[in-house]
Amino acid sequence: MVEETTDKNKVWDVVMIGAGPASLAAAVYTTREDIETVLFEKGAIGGLAAVTDWVDNYPGFPKGISGLDLSANLQAQAERFGAKIELGEVSKIEDKGDYKLLQTTEGEYKAKAILIATGSDYKKIGVPGEAEFYARGVHYCATCDGAFYRDKKLVVVGGGNSAAQESLFLTKFATHIDLLVRSTFKASDILQKEVKQNPKITIHIGTTTDEIVGKDGKVTKVIGTDTASGKKVEFPTDGVFVFVGLSPNTEFLAGSSIELDNIGLIKTSMNDLQTNMPGVFVAGDVHSGATMQIASAVGEGATAALHIREYLEGKPHPIQN
Amino acid sequence: MPKNITIFTTNTCAYCGMVKKWLGAKGYSYEEVNIDEHPERQQEALQASGQLAVPVTVVTRQDDSQEVVVGYNLAKLAPAVS
Repeated sequence: MVEETTDKNKVWDVVMIGAGPASLAAAVYTTREDIETVLFEKGAIGGLAAVTDWVDNYPGFPKGISGLDLSANLQAQAERFGAKIELGEVSKIEDKGDYKLLQTTEGEYKAKAILIATGSDYKKIGVPGEAEFYARGVHYCATCDGAFYRDKKLVVVGGGNSAAQESLFLTKFATHIDLLVRSTFKASDILQKEVKQNPKITIHIGTTTDEIVGKDGKVTKVIGTDTASGKKVEFPTDGVFVFVGLSPNTEFLAGSSIELDNIGLIKTSMNDLQTNMPGVFVAGDVHSGATMQIASAVGEGATAALHIREYLEGKPHPIQN
Repeated sequence: MPKNITIFTTNTCAYCGMVKKWLGAKGYSYEEVNIDEHPERQQEALQASGQLAVPVTVVTRQDDSQEVVVGYNLAKLAPAVS
């Protein structure tokens, strides 16, 4: 074991990268076992959950809960047992044998074990106008920027749960929303029902988003294609919100030996959520094969915490003996 | 130390909370303008940033020069307030 000396040379039991549901859940478990735990978060504590308007499928909340409140609760629970949250970014991790070295915006950190739970961010669609009008009419966070569209028309791009949920949220502000779904509407049945029943939302199935057009610095319309007829279609709008899937936050692992799958998610061994770098574990949306659900992330966080404890104690989990 | 820091926020914006948390942790005081509660001040945020987004942090230095940071961007926020 590595000796802990000065603060600079302090070796944390575990550093968790990301402070979303997976690592906050893990931190509840590790800190309750007196495993000294620090989490690094470069964005919002709670991750994508924190910027989600409403969470209806997280067990234990029969009426649902706002993503912001769920995140605050998870944070409070982790901090109650002693988890420390640093607001900063980890840029590199290295295996130094007895410990791992992390380069962060708050300086170098050393850890006996690491949990990577950096999650994912919303993907961009890569069409003309998207970058040009970023934050000036093109957005990826409805709970952040929706308030700027009171009494305006909007286009929402996407066909999954996020697109459906955030469209419903945006009806609090917008007069009308055109929901452009490229292929099939994949949102859950209950969300689809809510969206279809909302008089402010018109769903356009089989409609691609080809270009975002503006004038004088403002978005004015979206040009797409009706894939059934092949004809161009136009949607006059004041703004566009994009929810077309997720992109893993693993750029900081470029150049490390940690193995990723073909879409950039982190591979692990079968049973213990450990990566190919010993002592480095993974949980949540950034894990290869993740189901991208908050409940799953929390479950994996708890599982990873138990495996981290076994790793720190230098013995395998008894169930796997 | 800046002369004044104003943050434009909304009730549902997680990143707004992060800016407030970071400034608080670093010992900076700030004025918050919640545009859900004061929609008439939304235009101020737009004029300051040129963007339809929050959080907008307006840092006024001792010489009255201003720096505007949009979003929760520590790489820009930290030097702006230092």
